[in-house]
Amino acid sequence: MATPTATPNGELHAGIEKATVEIEHLSKWYGDVVAVADVSFGIGPGVTGLLGPNGAGKSSILKVLAGLLKPSAGEVRIMGRPVRSDIHLFRLIGMVPEQEMVYPYLTGREFVRLNASLQGVTDIDGATQRALVTADLGDAAERRIGGYSKGMRQRIKIAAALVHDPEILVLDEPLTGTDPVQRVQLIQLIQKLGAHGKTVFVSSHVLHEVERLADRIIVIVNGKLAAVGDFHAIRDKIDEHARTIRVKSTNDRDLASMLITTPHVTSVRIDPDPQSIVIEAEDVRAVYRLLPRIAREHDIRLFEVTSLDDSLASVFAYITQR
Amino acid sequence: MMLATFPTLWLTLRQFAAGRATRVVAFFAATPIIFSLVYLFNSGGSTANEFLGSIFNEFLAPTIVPLATLILATATLGNELSDRTIVYIALKPIARWRIVIEKFIGTFIVTGVAFIVGISITWALVAFGPEMPGGSTLPAMIVSSLFGVAAYGAVFLFFSLVIPRALLVGVIYILLWESLLARYIPGIRILSIRHFMQSIFVHWVNDSRVTIPQPTQLVSAIIVLVAVVIVSLILASLRLRRMNLD
Repeated sequence: MATPTATPNGELHAGIEKATVEIEHLSKWYGDVVAVADVSFGIGPGVTGLLGPNGAGKSSILKVLAGLLKPSAGEVRIMGRPVRSDIHLFRLIGMVPEQEMVYPYLTGREFVRLNASLQGVTDIDGATQRALVTADLGDAAERRIGGYSKGMRQRIKIAAALVHDPEILVLDEPLTGTDPVQRVQLIQLIQKLGAHGKTVFVSSHVLHEVERLADRIIVIVNGKLAAVGDFHAIRDKIDEHARTIRVKSTNDRDLASMLITTPHVTSVRIDPDPQSIVIEAEDVRAVYRLLPRIAREHDIRLFEVTSLDDSLASVFAYITQR
Repeated sequence: MMLATFPTLWLTLRQFAAGRATRVVAFFAATPIIFSLVYLFNSGGSTANEFLGSIFNEFLAPTIVPLATLILATATLGNELSDRTIVYIALKPIARWRIVIEKFIGTFIVTGVAFIVGISITWALVAFGPEMPGGSTLPAMIVSSLFGVAAYGAVFLFFSLVIPRALLVGVIYILLWESLLARYIPGIRILSIRHFMQSIFVHWVNDSRVTIPQPTQLVSAIIVLVAVVIVSLILASLRLRRMNLD
């Protein structure tokens, strides 16, 4: 895992052959409130996740990257050019903003056509139809956006962002409001775009969403860069340092008494709701290896073994404690 | 066709077609019709030109034209800034001045059409009265109002980009400055858009009974209002280019 202490053009670009987006020493503050503090990283083709809790500064970074906000300090370059210097750079970017509001009086097709026209697309009708089909909104295209569900509004924004076939796609919490089926479809679409060489930058505060979307993640905590690197490498590190496990079995009491005598376990308590035991361990991997053996030897059936550290909060806690 | 060539203008017209603000503007533009109906029943001894002159100088120019224009001019970009839909037009490879111009034209078209219709009906009703108004009165009222709509539209559009509560500030400006101070204090009269609108009107009507104190020359009044429009639109474009669209 690369850490934020590395130099901007060195390790923070690790794993990228060619950075299409470069952020260097970016800071953004609103009056006395610092939203982003001296953040540097680069992203290239493929899907990169921007992970952070609510209020971490993700949206500010995306807005600066897209040219909506002027950085208070630092620079953002798209294909080597400062983002607010040249309006033609907007032709390379498609953005799905976080806010739900879309012109309610337009139909879905009109909204996507509007975006195609504003982007200077030559074949407006063809591009509009393709984008609507890609976002799976062909059937609802003639309906007014005001009558769309939250998930449909999310998808019409994605269709509008894709209509000009941009090289860089910036998606701010794109899965918000989508149902499970739409979520799977959108994840597949985002992965497909990344696989086709587009630079896709997706923000989320939900760990498992990012896990499914992106191989490379950038973690932001309190406006600062907490980690940059391969998602699985970061997860492996977290697993190594996991502390707490919940186990459901046929005989929690016996299992607890045997585990407490093992050297890796520091405490075991029986949790009545849900009926289970909660184990705190110094080396959780050793406990993972030990559990099946103890269960087999004492004829105890294990129903569920869950790491309680597998939450975004734990990820941030782990990363920020380092 | 318009969507492909002038997408922001198309969006603006759709925005106004769907919004309540346009109905309020139509109501404002129709208010002189009520006075013309009263005139039909009781002219009060005034000629048709005098009556229409009073409607324009005392009612349309100082209050109705600026208020109606204010509503749409502050909504055209102001609403998109407040609900953040500005993202959909700002993140596009089109110059900021083009966004401002198309928004301005949209405001001008909708407000202008409302006043053309309202003034035309007012004039037609007055023509049914004891005497026909002068032939130049109708074009004078329409053209002067359109100059006012353009000047106020550009100024208030700029206001909406620099002042968070532009509608409220605009109402205070109209009622305090245009309708009161600049109307009755001679020294600051020339610092009001209303004065130049009225100057165009009285020169065009060319009737000694329809006048205002110290009207500005016709060409000078037109130049001033055109300059107000140009300067306001330039400032609005610069502002939109530099502002954070959060």
